[in-house]
Amino acid sequence: MDTAYDQTLDVKGAKCPLPLVKSRKAIGELAVGQVLRVVATDRGSVADFQGWAKTAKNVELISQETGQEAGQDLYIHYLRRTS
Amino acid sequence: MTITETTIAVPALQAAELYERLLHDPTLFILDVRNPDDFRRWRVEGRAGLESLNIPYYEFLEDEDGAIARLPRGREVLVVCAKEGSSQYIAELLQQRGNKAAYLQGGIMSWGNYYHVRPIVTTADGQLVQVARPARGDVSFVIISAGQATIIDPLRHTSHYLEIVREAGATLTAIFDTHVHADHISGGPALAQATGAPYYVHAYDAIHPIDMLPARIAYTTLEDGQVFRIGQLTLTALWFPGHTLGQMNFRLTAPDGASYLFTGDGIFLRSFGRPDLGGKGETWTPLLYESIYQRLPRYVDDTTLILPAHFSDLDEGGADGRFAMPYSALLQTNDGLAPRTLAQFTTYVLGNLPVFPPQYVEIKRVNIGLATPDEAQADELELGKNICALSH
Repeated sequence: MDTAYDQTLDVKGAKCPLPLVKSRKAIGELAVGQVLRVVATDRGSVADFQGWAKTAKNVELISQETGQEAGQDLYIHYLRRTS
Repeated sequence: MTITETTIAVPALQAAELYERLLHDPTLFILDVRNPDDFRRWRVEGRAGLESLNIPYYEFLEDEDGAIARLPRGREVLVVCAKEGSSQYIAELLQQRGNKAAYLQGGIMSWGNYYHVRPIVTTADGQLVQVARPARGDVSFVIISAGQATIIDPLRHTSHYLEIVREAGATLTAIFDTHVHADHISGGPALAQATGAPYYVHAYDAIHPIDMLPARIAYTTLEDGQVFRIGQLTLTALWFPGHTLGQMNFRLTAPDGASYLFTGDGIFLRSFGRPDLGGKGETWTPLLYESIYQRLPRYVDDTTLILPAHFSDLDEGGADGRFAMPYSALLQTNDGLAPRTLAQFTTYVLGNLPVFPPQYVEIKRVNIGLATPDEAQADELELGKNICALSH
């Protein structure tokens, strides 16, 4: 299933906490209502993004998917800026 | 895109230093910045009074002041995360805000795989070396005497044992598992392959109790009463069924009259091994009863040093992490060994069974060669502390 998005952030190879720190900055640069697609290779990002979306006041986690690229697992997160 | 610049160096604590502080530093305060699920599943544990707090790193990002306000004022904080990145990040942030902080190098993964090696008995006849994995509560032993060495319950990272044997200038003559473990991956089969020394386990444990499938590893079976020589020392294999059907104890005797009992997951210092991990708790409980109340007294005298394969918390190791106690002292402190009828014992056991970790079925498969995980999968299977004892 494809989720629509406005911008992609590539954090492949980045380790915790960078995927989340960079996503947080990137979402701050979006307009309210826009969606950020984050492509990560850090498996820990799956649970961390869930926890972060619950904590943050302006972020909604729309969906998460997994993928494969060049033999490595990808963890893809779709986040909406809500305020 | 720029990432936060690092300007203040934050001290990194290694797993070995963490262990020392857990044992000896009552002021240690741990801040775990992983998400709450990971924290619930497994965290750094120490003595009963250890203070720790879980505030995920993203809460610091969202509300820095609020998160810092929850920390104790004026006290150094050790920050812990999964691999070290977030803990270093948060420790730097704390330092910038004027809080003293350090972080655990390599994160909780390096703590989980940390081994502590120390001789616990040294006499003219030989040496007994304790090899512990404190994060998991796992304990194993190397016995050395007159140029010969054997290992009891070796853990997964075999290099530690090879080094001990090499440093002692000894020849490894045998490798023993007291039973086929459910909580961790044995280093026994790998050590046997690497050294050519035979790997011993009781044949009853070479059948997976849930799958009912036989082992695919090379092993030699143990018999009740079988005797082995290690230099000046004598090791006797003694059947102690209950935790598993093939659970063995090993009694070590020295020419000076001293005796030692390696109990595996038979009895522990404050509890004993649960009889339900084979899926037959009610059927195996009477076996365990017989082992504890009839067999054990024949294997020991008051001074026999009891050396189990697990502990549940660091306090069991006394002041300096020595997980052994004479039998007479154990009778005073281990409520699991108090006199009970079979009916009372059964009620006690079945009322104190902790959760059955689902991965324990798979770990037993690995230990008899029915499954072969890679390194990352093995780390994953072994996450967390052992749950082999009854709750108490």
